Amino acid sequence: MDFSWSDEQRAFRDRVVAFARESLNDDLRTLDAQGAFPRVLWDRCAAFGLLGLAVPEAYSGTPDVDFLTAMLAMEGLGYGCRENGLAFGINAQLWTVQLPLLRFGTNAQKERWLPRLCRGEWIGAHAITEPEAGSDIFNLQTHARRVEGGYVLHGAKCLVSFAPIADLALIFATLDPALGKWGITAFVVEKGTPGFHAGPVQEKMGLRTVPIGAFTFDDCFVPDENRIGPEGAGVSISTHSLEWERCCILASQLGAMERQLETAIAFARERKQFGQAIGKFQSVAHRITDMKLRLETARLLLYKVAWLKQNNKSAMLEAALLKLYISESFVASGLDAIRVHGGRGYLTENEVERDLRDAIGGLLYAGTSDIQRNIIARLLGL
Amino acid sequence: MKSQLRQYIQETLLENGAPHAVQDDENLLGSGLVDSVGMMSLVLFIEETFGVAVPPEDVTIEHFLSIDTIATYLEARVAA
Ligand SMILES: Cc1cc2nc3c(=O)[nH]c(=O)nc-3n(C[C@H](O)[C@H](O)[C@H](O)COP(=O)(O)OP(=O)(O)OC[C@H]3O[C@@H](n4cnc5c(N)ncnc54)[C@H](O)[C@@H]3O)c2cc1C
Repeated sequence: MDFSWSDEQRAFRDRVVAFARESLNDDLRTLDAQGAFPRVLWDRCAAFGLLGLAVPEAYSGTPDVDFLTAMLAMEGLGYGCRENGLAFGINAQLWTVQLPLLRFGTNAQKERWLPRLCRGEWIGAHAITEPEAGSDIFNLQTHARRVEGGYVLHGAKCLVSFAPIADLALIFATLDPALGKWGITAFVVEKGTPGFHAGPVQEKMGLRTVPIGAFTFDDCFVPDENRIGPEGAGVSISTHSLEWERCCILASQLGAMERQLETAIAFARERKQFGQAIGKFQSVAHRITDMKLRLETARLLLYKVAWLKQNNKSAMLEAALLKLYISESFVASGLDAIRVHGGRGYLTENEVERDLRDAIGGLLYAGTSDIQRNIIARLLGL
Repeated sequence: MKSQLRQYIQETLLENGAPHAVQDDENLLGSGLVDSVGMMSLVLFIEETFGVAVPPEDVTIEHFLSIDTIATYLEARVAA
């Protein structure tokens, strides 16, 4: 197993870091306070090519980048851009909307949707969660009735990132509740489709720049050409994209943890109490040591999973371990960063506490930590 | 092929671990005998044991309903 990066890969990451530092850190406290989606920053990311990563040039219009490099770039984005919501939103669209379309869509579907998503013109949401189907995700009730030329959708989705502003949604519905999860089928629904409604933005703790909300489908007709993959393949498509999501979505959190560590070290060297830098107090130094240990162990897991995926190997177990570990580590290190900064860390203006608020969502989306533990235990034969 | 599938499902995947002789025509999915994590493991087992790639879009009730339908599907994949 060789985790080393080529010079080109490192150079690409450096370019992403420089771009993110220069172009994506404008007025972040206002954006957070207003819970506003930063369309300008999104467009800058599209123009840089970040939204086209891991999508072939024919659709993205940007040079092909292999999966490992894309993940390294996402890590660089998290490091250079202090707006965790933006990094989360880009990752969500890349791995849970574009990747399934690329992998399971027909040529016509890819041509219709991928270029607009990669250019940043359209925003895509991935909608599977329902009021009664959260962790028990395949117990979903949204129904797709087969009719002449397509399907009629009826039901509701909730807690969907980008729902209030999405131009298209990849959604999952069951053809026949009697078939259980094996009736689940994937569809794309475009904004403006009669019977398809997006709810208002719901306020939340962190990742505030990614509007979250609900969808309802009220006798909403979708044509056959909007079905993704065969009928009944929804579970498999969703499982496949969830595994990718678990692998990739937190790469930017790794970058954010590195940024957070550097900030904590700088503060601990500078801030003096009792006549010396607080970093000289063993308890403070040990706290920072723990942050470093979490960062490096998370990095090893991330790169191992990336390597497995790049080499077309199964990463079921490792993806669950990674999702669990990075998300929990980001929360633990977020809290440690606040402790290191003392009262200043608690003040919003110093931009330390925002990382912790943003980190909490990671414990929940793409399967809660409990669910990751369940998967791991199951794969260990327990 | 069927006996290897039967043995794997019986020994590794059955949800509650209770002794249960799986029949070749028994519904593995609707009855909940094999859940979605189990199905992913089964696909991996098939790919490693029989050297056949199973694309995710093929993992449907049509192909994976029972040991019989899995065997028919795999025979067609091998022949293709
Ligand atoms: C920031 C954010 C973004 C999101 N984005 C999206 C999105 O884009 N698209 C989308 O479809 N969904 C999205 N979600 C929804 C997310 O996937 C769900 O919140 C998550 O799957 C949990 O479901 P739930 O909220 O209904 O909690 P529940 O399933 O009701 O869980 C409540 C508690 O019970 C525990 N629990 C439940 N079942 C078990 C079990 N079997 N074993 C042990 N513990 C269990 C859970 O771990 C949790 O602690 C997002 C959520 C958040 C927070």
